[in-house]
Amino acid sequence: MNFKDFIKEHKKAVLVILVAIIVSPLFALAADAVGYSEPLEKSADHLGAEESPIYGGILPDYSVPGVDSPIGTFIAGLVGSIVTLIIMLGVTMAIKGRNN
Amino acid sequence: MHIPDGFLDMNIAVLYYLLTAIVVGICIYKIKKDGIDEKRVPIAGLVAAGIFAAQMLNWPIPGGTSAHFVGGAVAAIILGPFLGCIAMVSVVSIQALVFGDGGITALGTNLFSMAIVGVFVAYYIYKALNKYNTKIAAFVAGWIGITLGAINTGIATGLSSTFQYAITTTVPIMGIWHGILGIIEGLITVAIIAYIEKNREDILYISNKTKNKSRSGKK
Repeated sequence: MNFKDFIKEHKKAVLVILVAIIVSPLFALAADAVGYSEPLEKSADHLGAEESPIYGGILPDYSVPGVDSPIGTFIAGLVGSIVTLIIMLGVTMAIKGRNN
Repeated sequence: MHIPDGFLDMNIAVLYYLLTAIVVGICIYKIKKDGIDEKRVPIAGLVAAGIFAAQMLNWPIPGGTSAHFVGGAVAAIILGPFLGCIAMVSVVSIQALVFGDGGITALGTNLFSMAIVGVFVAYYIYKALNKYNTKIAAFVAGWIGITLGAINTGIATGLSSTFQYAITTTVPIMGIWHGILGIIEGLITVAIIAYIEKNREDILYISNKTKNKSRSGKK
């Protein structure tokens, strides 16, 4: 299946994913505003556990180094979704075995 | 729920890597044995990409916390437990390797919580309850799946020295908080599954199976 057919046949799903990526910077700002903190961080704070990062990633913390945060978040979301799509398509093709 | 580097003792991290590798191996074996219809390949890719995008949305919760959708139940209900697990493995691995979300040493543990516990628990809950009411089944699957995944995170950290081996503290913190936040996961799961059920029931793993085995009388 070529790229165009793929988009055409699944345009609704692609659209939903695009909308999520477009609004993700707003959610990132909102979460920052309330002080993003997950239960795991609360647990770590409570017991004095500290992280010791050994690897920051290519796009650390869903941002693009040197790019303002809302745009960086958007680019990170777009790149991440496309990479995930390609990897999962590739993995599924590789392991799908014989057809039913 | 993504454990960073430095939180886990090395023996715990290695143990979870092994457990995860065994389960992922079984998933691949089952998928190869049963085969996947060609038409389901793009659906698998889109579900994984959609879950990645949805995890970018941090819902702020008044009182200084926030949570994001994880998606194990959605993956399980649409793709089934084995391919659903592989989809979550792709998402969580990319988060760690590309975005530094979740540590490299903790990846085995994070995969066990989100791609194995979160997926398989949700799948079996949905399977058990969907004959009564698919909406309630999807809600409970999303809610309990994420809560038990979080409890596993509590167990792994609570067995580690950086958390002072305080498993009796870490498990309740993770379980209770995610038990509450998990209600949001359940509601989002219902919204997605109800929409798909109405418009594209053919892509759901369980209804597929039911049809294939011609177990009629449902609906």
